Amino acid sequence: MTVQDSTAPDAALGLAGIPHTGEAVTADGHLTEPQAEDFNHARSAPPDPQWYKNAVFYEVLVRAFNDSDGNGTGDLRGLADKLDYLQWLGVDCLWLPPFYASPLRDGGYDISDFRAVLPEFGTVDDFSYLLDQAHKRGIRVITDLVLNHTSDAHPWFQESRQHPDGPYGDYYVWSDTDDRYPDARIIFVDTETSNWTYDPVRGQFYWHRFFSHQPDLNYENPEVQEAMLDVLRFWLDIGIDGFRLDAVPYLFEEEGTNCENLPRTHEFLKRCRKVVDDEYPGRVLLAEANQWPADVVQYFGDPSIGGDECHMAFHFPLMPRIFMAARRESRFPISEILAQTPSIPSGAQWGIFLRNHDELTLEMVTDEERDYMYAEYAKDPRMKANIGIRRRLAPLIDNDRNQQELFTALLLSLPGSPVLYYGDEIGMGDNIWLGDRDAVRTPMQWSPDRNAGFSRCDPGRLYLPAIADPVYGFQAVNVESQMNNTSSLLHWTRRMLQVRSEHQAFGLGDFTELGSSNPSVLAYLRRHGDDVVLCVNNLSRFPQPVELHLSDHDGCVPVELTGGVRFPAIGELPYLLTLPGHGFYWFQITAHLEEGEPL
Amino acid sequence: MSTRPLHAVASLTDDLRAWLPAQRWFAAKGRELSSVRVERATLLSGGDPALLHAVIEVDDGERYQLLIGVRDELTDQLHASFIGKLGESFAYEATQDPELMAVLLDLLAHGSDEGGLRWEREPGVEVVTGLRARPVGVEQSNTSVVFGYHYIFKLFRRPVPGKNRDVELHRALFRAGSKQVAEPVAVVEDGGEGAVLGFAQRYFADAVEGWAMATASVRDLLAEGDLHAGEVGGDFAAEAGRLGTAVAQVHADLAAQLGAETVGADRIGGAVDQMHGRLDAVLAEVPALAEHEPMLRAAFDAVRGLAEGVEVQHVHGDLHLGQVLRTTTGWVLIDFEGEPASRPDERLLMRSPLRDVAGMLRSFDYAALHLLAGDDADTQADHQRLTRAAEWADRNRSAFCAGYAAVGVGDPRAQTVLLRAFELDKAVYEVAYEHRNRPDWVGIPLAAIRRAG
Repeated sequence: MTVQDSTAPDAALGLAGIPHTGEAVTADGHLTEPQAEDFNHARSAPPDPQWYKNAVFYEVLVRAFNDSDGNGTGDLRGLADKLDYLQWLGVDCLWLPPFYASPLRDGGYDISDFRAVLPEFGTVDDFSYLLDQAHKRGIRVITDLVLNHTSDAHPWFQESRQHPDGPYGDYYVWSDTDDRYPDARIIFVDTETSNWTYDPVRGQFYWHRFFSHQPDLNYENPEVQEAMLDVLRFWLDIGIDGFRLDAVPYLFEEEGTNCENLPRTHEFLKRCRKVVDDEYPGRVLLAEANQWPADVVQYFGDPSIGGDECHMAFHFPLMPRIFMAARRESRFPISEILAQTPSIPSGAQWGIFLRNHDELTLEMVTDEERDYMYAEYAKDPRMKANIGIRRRLAPLIDNDRNQQELFTALLLSLPGSPVLYYGDEIGMGDNIWLGDRDAVRTPMQWSPDRNAGFSRCDPGRLYLPAIADPVYGFQAVNVESQMNNTSSLLHWTRRMLQVRSEHQAFGLGDFTELGSSNPSVLAYLRRHGDDVVLCVNNLSRFPQPVELHLSDHDGCVPVELTGGVRFPAIGELPYLLTLPGHGFYWFQITAHLEEGEPL
Repeated sequence: MSTRPLHAVASLTDDLRAWLPAQRWFAAKGRELSSVRVERATLLSGGDPALLHAVIEVDDGERYQLLIGVRDELTDQLHASFIGKLGESFAYEATQDPELMAVLLDLLAHGSDEGGLRWEREPGVEVVTGLRARPVGVEQSNTSVVFGYHYIFKLFRRPVPGKNRDVELHRALFRAGSKQVAEPVAVVEDGGEGAVLGFAQRYFADAVEGWAMATASVRDLLAEGDLHAGEVGGDFAAEAGRLGTAVAQVHADLAAQLGAETVGADRIGGAVDQMHGRLDAVLAEVPALAEHEPMLRAAFDAVRGLAEGVEVQHVHGDLHLGQVLRTTTGWVLIDFEGEPASRPDERLLMRSPLRDVAGMLRSFDYAALHLLAGDDADTQADHQRLTRAAEWADRNRSAFCAGYAAVGVGDPRAQTVLLRAFELDKAVYEVAYEHRNRPDWVGIPLAAIRRAG
């Protein structure tokens, strides 16, 4: 064994004793990298090429979910221990934010080794175990992958700065000057003053669209493209079901452009998709591009062949508008954004969400709307973060059970695959006094026991304190007590997921908004073949009547989906419904049946 | 049924005498009719059911057009539309029959010029057929049918020879590329006198009337204990501002397409005389208005002093929150027929665009106060509610004007003399209307007049 030398490419990793990139260097200067064959592979998930269109996703932070070894931080084994709960709840796919080796200067999005797991979370074999156990229960797992850049601690970067003429010398975007690509905006304006930073080791500037400790990879270099495709293959071989590709618009640079959404970036995404389609059918790519839907659709690729880039992309502007619509008691904020959403290729699907690990982003609203959202939902300045609001769902809507149900019903029935955020199924609260976006990243509340049942450690050792206030604290809000109470939000959420899973119209159906003369009621049809679901939502806190024009379904009977109650048949005249404040209905529109006939 | 349409309809005249006075669109509602004369009738579609078009004249000289369906057997749903028996068959109001309205849609789509009726699509428009038809619920003077999520067809119950203002202004705005009107789709004309009988336009299936939007906001405000109008979630000011912008844009487009001019003392004097005339009539009817007479007359007369003249152009003419629709792409103005109380030739005159602004400002006042009709300002609780409702009205009137001014055709608030006179003139008309029809509501325009004093 040799003494670690500070110029060794893996010196900054802190992964001694764990398989990692740069453990050894070959004679021609290449770094040895862990291979998928070195690890256990998970069994396959049940085959279903369109699974992502019908799936309910559940975003879970490994750090925050369950601590198996008592060190105060959640880990992969801990998460695996809770898969029975997630299966019971009815989620179809877990989305894990990055769990790779990282100096954690950007929440793990600063990856220092794509082929190693952050030691506090476990090992690659622990991940493989989690995946295997998830697949056993019919649950899939995807994770984030950052294609655009690495951490500056990545052995590739260390090699690149120390050996400009070595095999990694051209892995990053180096320049003698800091004046190239002047039209590219600076994204993190709060912390960065330039997209170029000088590296004293190499004596050149390197390019970075995000933090200066995250150098951009040089996609002009064919070897970088191959290396990143091999990273995809590494995890796909182990059995992962897909990737959420982080910050995709920025892969290539070109003089005279803003260096976003360039044609060659799309070419590379098509290559990624081809690897998936040819070698790993049934796995998915989800694009993270925080842009307007009209701009995001290009990341689905060519619509004439059903899409040949990412299978999914997040629909960012819908979420703030759901909040705005309820506050204004008007359907128009939602109707407008859906009307502006272009159609997507046949193989594509939106991902939609109410909340996630970031703040409630308000980039996709006008200045006036942003002021409005701040005034309504961020009454304390500490509730704001960047251009957004750092709160969880329950406190955002004043812990109002009716609104929690309405919002969740909207999430589960609007077009797209819903993404739940861990803890929102029990109505967890937030802690706005924690720094950055940690307000919404506190430990999952399993029970009223010490540390909310999340960890056996000394409470002071927790990565973040559990929520302990009288309303949202773990004594009041936890899985155990809600499991024991069938009228709890948890049981309600589970029932709704069950209902959703019984109707493909929610995932695969087309969407038609039904107008009505009442601006507070949002009604729409989801239709897939014979499966026709009618959703009616009252965005007002007051009871509302609504007359719907359903005469296309003359003679059909609406059957309420949660209770199976048959409503009066639809006729030629407008169909009258009354809804309680913040009430909603899901109906299946069925061909007429005589009273008493089985459904 | 008879193959001679005129004879067929003529044989229904006794039934029509009984049936017409009960129709909403019939001007002389509830009055005994002594005669109905069939001026013309055309068979639009034979067979069972058959569709007839007829123009009739009643004893006061008013002309109406009818669409009559004829069936061997009446469906349950059509019972309410029954007019009379025609031999062994049943004649009924055809706009209620989806099957016959499908025939009408085919005529609109394919065009026709038979029996003196000309059906013609607008240039460059393709019409989708096979859409399910349904009648629109409540309407004052016309009858409309909606086809699928695509079109709305308006049947002008009282066709007037010559140019149709609604059609002409829509065409002009559409030519200008306006996003604030529904695209004209097809027109039915009388081949002889050139009267427009029907007008099909794009239908905004997702739209909501401005009145429903505004009153939802007021309801939200009044449900709060003591928050100000700008502090509640349902604040309407942003919508009111966008509405103001839409109205100003329509005015700018109409002026650009059809011209504008400045009128001098003569026309102004005539308009002021008309305001006084209307006031005279209402004073005779509503004594409560008397205490405000000097203020009102002074406000009207102040307009005579506008030395620089007044800009006039084609305007909407009957603008209020019920004539605007919120769609998913913004506000749309509908029904450019003009002031229903004026004579057809008067409606064609150019007028100050501030007439439209005044109409909308009055409408905000109505929206704010309609829930409180009958409240008594003397009790503490009612006083609080009235004050807060008035605050809503002020906030949204102001936001509307600011949105209007943003287009660059002028800020209505800068023309206080004219705007004040128009608003008061409108309020006087409202006093008379409410006095006759909804006495509980008369307090709304009266309060506005009192505040202006």
